[in-house]
Amino acid sequence: MSAKPISAEAPIMRLCDEPFVDFLGFREETLNGETRYFMDFRDSHIGNPMIRTFHGGILASFGEVTAAAHLARQRGDDEVPLCSTMTFDYLRPAFEGTLQAIPNIVRAGRRITTVSVQLRLEGKLVCIGRFLFLVGRNENENKT
Amino acid sequence: MMAKAFFGTNHPLFDTFKIDIGIVNDGHAEMSMPFSEQLSDRRGSLHRGALVTLLDTTCGLSIFSSLGSLKPIATIDLRVDFMRSIPPAAGLKAVVECIGKTDTVAFISGRAFAEDSGELLAMVAGSFAIGTMGPTLDSEAGGS
Repeated sequence: MSAKPISAEAPIMRLCDEPFVDFLGFREETLNGETRYFMDFRDSHIGNPMIRTFHGGILASFGEVTAAAHLARQRGDDEVPLCSTMTFDYLRPAFEGTLQAIPNIVRAGRRITTVSVQLRLEGKLVCIGRFLFLVGRNENENKT
Repeated sequence: MMAKAFFGTNHPLFDTFKIDIGIVNDGHAEMSMPFSEQLSDRRGSLHRGALVTLLDTTCGLSIFSSLGSLKPIATIDLRVDFMRSIPPAAGLKAVVECIGKTDTVAFISGRAFAEDSGELLAMVAGSFAIGTMGPTLDSEAGGS
């Protein structure tokens, strides 16, 4: 494991400062040095009350918050970046339960970084999102 | 009345967001929400996730108004481009058109503005599946 000397704590602290992130019930857990991102169902997340599914906007928000947190952590930033474009595909209804978001930095370019996020409900893929951030490669990253 | 049925039953998310319905007419829908501390980011502006949620909800209403019924619909995909940061303490207004539809899919395009200044903040485009899982949204109230 090439653990980079990046503060894993700072972005978490800053993120938790955001009332909206609290409203989502966004949680982070660290397992074997890897951060995992979760969101538990709440009544205030409901889109369709008849079948108790997550609202599409809440799902996209969870994706964005995860993408931003993951990117900040990878860059070693203590502040989360703002997304400039999001594209989100809803693949299955997201029923009541605990969602996990799995982020991946697709490419960190000179000016734009693309992060993809999978949302899984009990292991099943329910959404995929792509998030563009107007932040370039962290110069320190090239030195490894 | 459709907009009433859309909101008539107790809906925790709409209550939290204090979403207000504006003009709704033949595929055109407008909705707004006031600034809320609970849904804000650390800059003291509404979080982008709140804006996406308002847009997604307005998309739904524009499609219901185009269909003339509350047949269940589900977001297939959504793209949101953010033009500028949401001003601190500002409420939001979303304006969405249902551009066209087939028997099974509806297509939308819309914009989000700062409520007071009218500044353009974001654009949305997306598609929604028509006639998806679950009863019609007004069936609990015994129709209308």
